[in-house]
Amino acid sequence: MDTIKFLLDGFTVALQWHNLLFALVGVIIGTAVGVLPGIGPMSGVALLIPVTATLTSGMPTDAAAASSIILLAGVYYGAMYGGSTTSILLNTPGESSSVVTALDGYQMAQQGRAGAALSIAAIGSFIAGIVSLIGLVLLAEPLSNIALEFGPAEYFSLMLLGLAAVSGLAGKSVTKALIMTVFGLMLGTIGIDAVSGIARFTYDLPVLYGGLEFLTIAVGLFALGEVFKTILENDTDAEPIAKIKRILPTKQDLKDSAKPITRGSLLGFFIGVLPGAGATLASFFSYITEKKFSKNPDSFGKGNIAGVAGPESANNAASGGAMIPLLTLGIPGSGTTAILMGALIMYNVQPGPLLFDDHPEIAWGLIASMFIGNLVLLILNMPLVKVFAKIIQTPKKYLLPIIIAISFFGVYAVQYTTFDLYLLLACGLFGYLLSKNDYPVAPLVLALVLGPMIENNMRRALTISNGDWSIFVTKPLSLVFLIIAIAWVLIPVILKFMGRKVIVNEEE
Amino acid sequence: MKKKLLILGMTVMLSIMLAACNSNTSETGASGESSSNYPESNIIIVAPSGAGGGWDLTARSVAKIMSETGLVEKAITVENRAGGGGAVFMAEYATKEADNDYMLMAKSPPILINNLKAEGNSPYGYKDTKPLAQLTRDYGAIVVKADSPYNNLTELLDAIKADPSSLTLAGGSAPGSMDHLVGVLPAYAYGIDPKQVKYVSYDGGGEAIAALLGGNADVIATDASAIGEYVKSGDVKVLAVSSTERLTGALEDVPTFKELGLDAEFTIWRGLFGPKNMSDEAFEYWTTKLSEMAETDEWKAELERNGWQHEYRNAEEFTAFLEEQEAVISELLKALDMHK
Repeated sequence: MDTIKFLLDGFTVALQWHNLLFALVGVIIGTAVGVLPGIGPMSGVALLIPVTATLTSGMPTDAAAASSIILLAGVYYGAMYGGSTTSILLNTPGESSSVVTALDGYQMAQQGRAGAALSIAAIGSFIAGIVSLIGLVLLAEPLSNIALEFGPAEYFSLMLLGLAAVSGLAGKSVTKALIMTVFGLMLGTIGIDAVSGIARFTYDLPVLYGGLEFLTIAVGLFALGEVFKTILENDTDAEPIAKIKRILPTKQDLKDSAKPITRGSLLGFFIGVLPGAGATLASFFSYITEKKFSKNPDSFGKGNIAGVAGPESANNAASGGAMIPLLTLGIPGSGTTAILMGALIMYNVQPGPLLFDDHPEIAWGLIASMFIGNLVLLILNMPLVKVFAKIIQTPKKYLLPIIIAISFFGVYAVQYTTFDLYLLLACGLFGYLLSKNDYPVAPLVLALVLGPMIENNMRRALTISNGDWSIFVTKPLSLVFLIIAIAWVLIPVILKFMGRKVIVNEEE
Repeated sequence: MKKKLLILGMTVMLSIMLAACNSNTSETGASGESSSNYPESNIIIVAPSGAGGGWDLTARSVAKIMSETGLVEKAITVENRAGGGGAVFMAEYATKEADNDYMLMAKSPPILINNLKAEGNSPYGYKDTKPLAQLTRDYGAIVVKADSPYNNLTELLDAIKADPSSLTLAGGSAPGSMDHLVGVLPAYAYGIDPKQVKYVSYDGGGEAIAALLGGNADVIATDASAIGEYVKSGDVKVLAVSSTERLTGALEDVPTFKELGLDAEFTIWRGLFGPKNMSDEAFEYWTTKLSEMAETDEWKAELERNGWQHEYRNAEEFTAFLEEQEAVISELLKALDMHK
C-alpha cells in the first residue's frame, strides 16, 4: 500500500506546527472571502500569494512551497464553506457556486430556519470535502485519464443534459421557465465569440467584448431584486421577523439531508474533475438532481433543506475534484486553480505529470492538510452559525442598505467597471419585475452559464469533425448523455400524453 | 445590545471600505499635474486584466522590485482594470489618462493584435502610448502528442498541405489572437493558406494541453515556457519554437522556425508603457529607473521565480521592435482575412 505510506508522509508534513498554523490562517481567510461577495476565491488567493511568499521566504524552497500552497488551498476550500452564508441570510450569493443555494436557503431563513440551513451547509461541505479527498487519494490516476477523454462532443452533451433539466428550476409555469431559459441563452451570446473571434451584440463598446459578468447578473436578480421588492411593496414592517427557533438542525433535517449530501458529494466530485465544468455547474446539477429525486418536488424553492444540503456539498466536493487535473496533469480546471498553479510555479514546482514523483512531500502534504483544514472548518463554522444567524434579525431598515452596499462593493471588486454597477441596478429592477410576475430567475442564470459552454463545445466538436454532426452520437459517452437528456424531457410528456399521472418518485 | 454591536461593527467595516475607495480616487485625481521634481505622488501601474494573469504578475513584480531595491521611493500600487481583453482600459488610457504621468501600464502583444484585427477591435494601439521598456520574453511552441505520427515540423506541414481538414490545431485563445497566430505562422511561411488550417480555440492554454493529451486536437500552439514539464514527462513532442535562437533547458533540442528554413519568428514579450503625452521628465525618470532595475540581482531572481526569460529593450529599441512586430502581425492577419 504505497498510497497509505505516502499519505502518512503527507501527514507528517501537514502536522508540523507551522503548517497547521498556515492551514488555520488559510481557512479563516477563506471563510471571510467566501462570506464577502465579490472577493471571490480567485482574487482572494491571488492577493495572498505575495503575502505567503514573504512569510515563507526564510524556508528551503520545497518546504516553503508546501507551506504556502497549504495556506492558499485553505483559502480556496474555505471560501466554498463561507459562500453559502450570504446566500442563505441575505439572498446575496457570495460566489457564483452559491447562487443556487439562495433558492431554498433564503426561504429557510425567512421561515426562521437560518440556523439549520447554515449548519447543514457546513456539515454537507465537511462530508463532501472528506469524500472528495478520499476520491483524490484513491482515484487520482484513473480519473485524470477519464477527464482527458472528455472532448468537446462529450462536454456539449453533458451541458445539454443540464439545460434539459432546467425545467427542474421552474416555479409554477414551465412555459415561463423556458422563456427565462431562452432569454438567458440570448444574454450569453453577448461578447467576442470564442470560436470565430467575431464580436456579437457589442455595438463596438469595448466593455461588452468580454460578455456580461455572471456574478453581476446573479447578484442583481437575486439580492437587489429582493431589496426592490421589499421597498416597492412597502412590506418593511408587514412581515414579522422570523424568530430563530434553534441553531442546530433537527433529527428530521439531518435525515432529509443525508441522501442529498451523499449524492451532492459524489456528483460534485466527478464534475469537479472535468477541467471545463466547475463548482457552479456542480451545484446546479445537484439542485436539479435533488428536485428530481424528491418525493415532494413542489416544496423546492420554498425552503426544502435538500436544496441547500445537495448544492453546498456539491460545490465543496467539486473544489476537491478540481485538484485532480491540477496536481496530476498540471491542467487548471478553473480560474482559482490556475492561480494556485501559478503559486506553485513561483517556487519552481511545476504541477503536472511529474509532481508526485519529483515533489511527493508537497503533493501529499497538501492532501493531508486538506483533511485537517476541512475538520478545522467544521469546528470553526458551527459556533459561527449562531453569530451569523442573528443577522437575519436585523430590522429591514438597517439590513437593506447593507445588502445594497455589499452587492455594489462585491460587483465592483470583481469587475472594476462602473458599467457593471449600472447593469447590477438594471438587473435588480428586472429581477423585481420578474418575481412580481412569477417568472423564475434561476433558469435565466443557469442558461447564462451553460449557453456559451454549450455553443463553444458544439462548434469545437463540429470543427474537429469537419461539420459532421454524427460526432455527437458516435462517441459513446456523448451518446449516453444525449439519451438521458432526451429521456428527461420526453418521459414526463409521454406519460402525460398517455393520460397517466406523472410519477415523480423515482427513488429506488 | 448585541444587535446594536453587530450593526455598529458592520457600519465601521463599510465606512473603512468606503474610505479605502475614496483615497484611491483622490490619488488618481491629484496625479494629473506635472512638476519639476517628478515623482511627487504615488504611482499606479495598471494591469488591464483581473488579478493573477500575466500582465498583473508583471506589474506586481515591477512594483515589488522597485520598492525593495529602493529605486523608486514613492509607493507603487497595482490596479486591475479588466474588460474586453484590455481594450476597455486601453481606450481610457489613450484618452482620459493621456496626460497622467503617474499611471503606467503593463501589456504584451495583444496591444498590437487588438488594434489590428477587425473583430473586437481596439481603436487605440501602441502609438497611443509611450513605450518605456520590454522586460520579459517568451516564445510560441508547436506541440504534438508523444505518440503522434509526426516527428518534425516539415512532416506536419506536408500533411496539412495535402489535406487541411485532416488535422486540428488547438490553442488557448480566440481566433486572430496570439496562439492562433503562432500556430498558423509556420504554415503561412510554408506556403499554406492560413485560412485553411482548422483552428479550435479553448479557454486558456491548460485546456488546450488537455485537448492534446486526450486526443481531441492533433497539434497545439502554446507558450514555450509552459510546455517543458510535459516534455520531461514524455507526454508530448515539441516540433519547433518561434524564437530566433535555440532555447535552453528542456527545449534545447527543439529547432527554431528559422533553422527549418521558415522565415518566421514570434516573441511573446511583456513590457511597460507610459501615457501618450508623458512629460519628458517622467519619461526620462522611468527609462533610467527601469534600465537600472533590469540589471539588479533582485529582478533576475524575480524573473527566475516566475519562470520568465530576461530580455530588456530600452524605450528606443522597444519602439522599433514594436513597429517590426506590428508589420509581422498585420501581414498574418491580412492572410487570415481578419485584418481590420
